[in-house]
Amino acid sequence: MIELFNLMRNKRLFVLMLGLILFIAALGFSLRDRQLSAPEKFVNDSVAYVQQWFYKPAGYIAGLFEDIGNIRSLQKENEQLRTTAAAYARDKIKYNVIEKSNESLEKALHFTERQRSLNDYEYLIAQVISISPDPYNPTIKIDLGSENGIKENMAVVSTDGLVGIVTKVSAFSSNVEPITSLDEKSPNSKSISVTVLGRENVSFGIIGTFDHDKGRFIMNRIPENDPMIVGDTVITSGLGRVFPRGLVVGTVETTPQAGDFGLTKVASVKPLADFNRLTEVFVVKMAETGEETP
Amino acid sequence: MTTGRLIIVMFLVFIVEGTLVPWFIPDSLAGRIIPHFTFILVMYTALYAGRHKALLLGLIFGLLQDVVYFGNLLGVHSFAMGLLGYLTGLLLDKKRVTMMSALSVIILACMAYESILYAVYRVFRFTRESYPHALMEHMVLSTFLQLGFALAIYVPVRRWMEKSGHPVRKPENEEE
Repeated sequence: MIELFNLMRNKRLFVLMLGLILFIAALGFSLRDRQLSAPEKFVNDSVAYVQQWFYKPAGYIAGLFEDIGNIRSLQKENEQLRTTAAAYARDKIKYNVIEKSNESLEKALHFTERQRSLNDYEYLIAQVISISPDPYNPTIKIDLGSENGIKENMAVVSTDGLVGIVTKVSAFSSNVEPITSLDEKSPNSKSISVTVLGRENVSFGIIGTFDHDKGRFIMNRIPENDPMIVGDTVITSGLGRVFPRGLVVGTVETTPQAGDFGLTKVASVKPLADFNRLTEVFVVKMAETGEETP
Repeated sequence: MTTGRLIIVMFLVFIVEGTLVPWFIPDSLAGRIIPHFTFILVMYTALYAGRHKALLLGLIFGLLQDVVYFGNLLGVHSFAMGLLGYLTGLLLDKKRVTMMSALSVIILACMAYESILYAVYRVFRFTRESYPHALMEHMVLSTFLQLGFALAIYVPVRRWMEKSGHPVRKPENEEE
């Protein structure tokens, strides 16, 4: 006890220790899964308001220089786009017919409202307003918030593919965690259930970890007899009902090999989206059905 | 420099490091060079304007960064900036610090800052990379960027801080 009083006399040390304890408590407290409090939201929104004046103009200027560099490859790209547009026009006719027949079949089979709206997605365009200067917490801020209908755990995609997950939502801005920070061993881990484009009912896998050394996702829990091959496009399967179906994640890079005690297989997946220099992203909003996710 | 103006300048630097700096970093090095410019200003405050100011600014701007870019943990930057600002001030704020020693102190402080970040995220299991890997991957490279920034703003910041720093520092000396 006397020692404690001696410690108290040394005010500087005492305050330092108290500060240390407070910070460890704050760190532990923030680990919990919780909504943002009002002051946090206020600070977030006011800073986001200032940040949006800076990020986008800088992006335009940087983009201008890049465009000048790319001017030669434009013609080639244009040709490619023309062929894709032609293919698209062909597929569109096919799609319309199939959609009509699908609708009538759903009606004939008495689908419920929830089942019918399962694949109705709305893409909300969001502007990136800043990127976190922290190597272990690469948060991206976007300029849409709960006022625009953003909720936690919504998927965020760029034109190339899946980019991240909305983690924290303020009124007019929200924080997006890029999927490159996925880690199965971390306390707040999230996983994405995926499948392969063209074989949605046959292939299955779970992406839960991003390997920073190789720059690849690790896809595991692949069934033993999965027909997955190198070069397949990996898309979200929508089985967890958190992510919508059909968002492109990447391409399979190695043939599935035995892992996890040999019961399931593991493959590495190359990400398709570029996670640097994002300017415009889309938040995928699933149809509101009134019910909570099952 | 009055505290009010210092806070405005630091806020601008804080905005710039999250919005403009990512555009200047080449694509191949993205994610490996990370700016900590507000921390450099906290260090200069500690060296030329007193440790209590540095402690306060470090805590405030660290907390701002924690809240604005809140992903998993709250308080890491606040802790690291406050602690390092105060310790640097404690060791050096009454001495006459030359340019070379100021820059070497800043290099050491940057490494310490990165190490504290690494340690906290490692303890809470948000990163699994080994310390040597983290060192080679981004700590050293980031420190070079920080050093460049520190060098660029050394002359104006020192002139600015010492002009108004003296009357503030005198009562502190009497307190001891």
